[in-house]
This record gives sequence, structure tokens and C-alpha cells, in this order.
Amino acid sequence: MSKAIVTPLTQALAEGKLTREELKGFMQRSNGPGLRHLALWILTLACTTTLITLAWDSWLIWPAMFVQGVVLVHHFSLQHECVHYTVFRTRWLNDLVGLLCGVIIILPHRFFRYEHCDHHTYTQLEGEDPELIPLPESLGQYVLYLSALPYWRGIFTQVIRHALGHLNEVELQFVPKEEQGAVFWDARRLLAFYAAVFVGMAMTGWWGLVWYWIIPLFLGEPVMRFVRMTEHVGRPTIAQMSENTRTILAPKPISFLCWNMNYHAEHHYVASVPFHALPRLHEKLKDHIYVEKGGYLAAHRDILRQIMSRQNQVEA
Amino acid sequence: MAVREKTWRDVIAVSELESNWVTRVEMGPRLIAVYDTPSGVYASLALCNHGGADMCDGYFDGHVIECPLHQGAFDVRDGRPVAAPATKPMRVFETRVADGMVQIRM
Repeated sequence: MSKAIVTPLTQALAEGKLTREELKGFMQRSNGPGLRHLALWILTLACTTTLITLAWDSWLIWPAMFVQGVVLVHHFSLQHECVHYTVFRTRWLNDLVGLLCGVIIILPHRFFRYEHCDHHTYTQLEGEDPELIPLPESLGQYVLYLSALPYWRGIFTQVIRHALGHLNEVELQFVPKEEQGAVFWDARRLLAFYAAVFVGMAMTGWWGLVWYWIIPLFLGEPVMRFVRMTEHVGRPTIAQMSENTRTILAPKPISFLCWNMNYHAEHHYVASVPFHALPRLHEKLKDHIYVEKGGYLAAHRDILRQIMSRQNQVEA
Repeated sequence: MAVREKTWRDVIAVSELESNWVTRVEMGPRLIAVYDTPSGVYASLALCNHGGADMCDGYFDGHVIECPLHQGAFDVRDGRPVAAPATKPMRVFETRVADGMVQIRM
């Protein structure tokens, strides 16, 4: 008998955590929820953009740019959902929106899709999960991670490497041979687009995009690092989905910003479930997954406790 | 070497198919996915040729089956990959309905 690989979903079905009928119900897609969420998203961006305009001639432009940045970096959450085709029922809409998100946050969509596939196959397995964030060894490393400096160094190195036609050893494992050329051209097109934007600004003398987009993006990224750290960091580096991933209960505005990605364990269990159905899936799976009821701050307290405890052990 | 001729084989009764969805059928050593679509019944191997997951647990919409693990997708009419990370066609079978049974040619 041909054997399917064991996935969190097959385990959940085999263990009766979820029935096939329930699964079918959760997976149903439509364009309505995604389009409504996107409309509110654009409205939110319009508001934060207005804040920057209103604060243009004062020091208040810095907090305004930070607020804009917090929204901008959450395009990662939308792009992530688009990678899974779980925002819109119409498949090309996911591709288009995901591509645009990638341009906004400097994350080529195609490459991210392939990398993210291996993250789902090897979640939290050291040496196999390409997105694994190790538990920082010290408070200094924790702060450095949250600064987003290592993140940006990684992103720029990666995009330039791809534009030059190279993949590193890890990337060669998950980008199929027939897609390598496309990954390289994506990086070149992306860099060409950014170059054209800067040339356009230089020629017109209007540098607005630096203040509305570029600076806010860098100001906001530590918030995304703060969010992303809570998904798996500090959870056991084992294959059991019930243990290796954190679901965070968060207030509605935060769930809105991260497109319900705070229901992270549910998402890993059944990645085909659209973002709007994740709260319902949570009700079904909440007794079988690790849930942090205290929100993002409690998750970070847990991470910091583990860092301090490890540091004390080393010093002892 | 003698080439074995392909013959039509019963897979499942049409009445047992999940309506507008994908149904998993075991046929000897093979897992077969049978699709009930607006334009008729189609069948393919059930395991995704990208990551090896069972596509019968995936999302099915119209003529497109999506792998539950990575959301790579295929058109069930001809096996054509329609969304990455699927890049190679999946193996589909010639399919027909006869006397209330779904049959595939293999």
C-alpha cells in the first residue's frame, strides 16, 4: 500500500480530534471575508498615512511613522495567508496580493512560498526547518533579534544572492531545480523596481515614499520580530504539533492586524483552513494544542524565563 | 516482453462518492483519489508528487485539488499543476462511469 506521509492533519483525523466532515466545513472558502478584511486594511493604511501627513512638520512624524510601520510589517501576515491560498477563494487573487505584499516588505513571494513549505514539513526540527528561530542564548541576543538588524541583514543578503544567481545549501534543498531561474529573476525584478522608485524620487525631487514607506518599514519591523518570536521560540524542538507551536489569544485589533495568525497551532494543524475560520477551528482544537492565554507579553515572559534559566545553568 | 493491456476496473459505486468533493479509495497497493466535479468524475493517484501528503484530505474546488500540506494544486482533469509548490503533473487515470460504478483504466 502506498503510504501518505504523516502530517499534523492526518494525526488529528486519526486521533479523532477532527472529523472529515468538520474538516470539509472548516476548509470552505469564499472571497467575501478576505475582500472585507482587505477593504478595512486599506482604510487603516489610509488613516496611518494621513497621520504622517498631519505630523509632517513636527517631531510627531516619528510616532506616526512607527504606527504606519506596524501596519506595513503586518503585510507579512497577509502574504503568509496568500502563500497558503487561504485569503481568497479565487486563486490568482492570492497570488497577486501576496506578490504586492512581498514588494512592500521586501520578501519575494515565490521564494517565501518554497521556504515556508519546508517550515510546515519540518516545523521546529533543528537543521531542517529553514524558518526556525533558535531560543536566544542570552538577553543580549534576545534584544539583538528584536532589533530586526539580523533579520534585515539576512533579507538583503538573500535577495542580492538570488539576483546574482546563487542559492545557498539550505535553499537548494527546498527550491526545485525548475524554479531556481524564476527565483533569481524575481529578485532581479524586485531590485530593479526599488531602483526605479529611487530614481523616480530623485528625478521628481519628491522623497515622500521614504517617509511613508521605507522609514516606517524599518521602524515597524521589531514589532513583527516580537510577534514572530512567539510562534515557536521556547517551545520544544520536536515534531509534535501539540507541543512545538504556540497559539496566542489576542484582542480583536491584533488578530485583525495579523490576519488571525495568532491561532498559529491551528494553522499548522490544518494549513488549508482560511484565515477567517481559524477562530472556529480554535474552539475545536483548543484542548489539543498549546495555548498562551496571557497574550504576546506572557509569551515573551515565558521566553525570557527560559533564557535566564539557561544562562543561570551555564553560569552555575 | 509482453505488454499487459490496460483494462477497465471498478473503483467505487457512484452513490458512495462524496458529492462535489474528493473520495479516497484503496485499490490493492494504490491509494486512488476520485473526484466528483461539475463536468463528471475523474481519478488520480492520491499522494501528492511534491511532499507525499494524502490529497484526499485537501481542499477541493470545482476541478482543482489542493494538497493539505503545502497547498500545491492540480487540475484533476489532466493532472496539470496549477499552483506552486506543485511543478510536475500528477498521474491521472482514464475514468468512466458504467453500471453505477466509477471505473478507471489501468
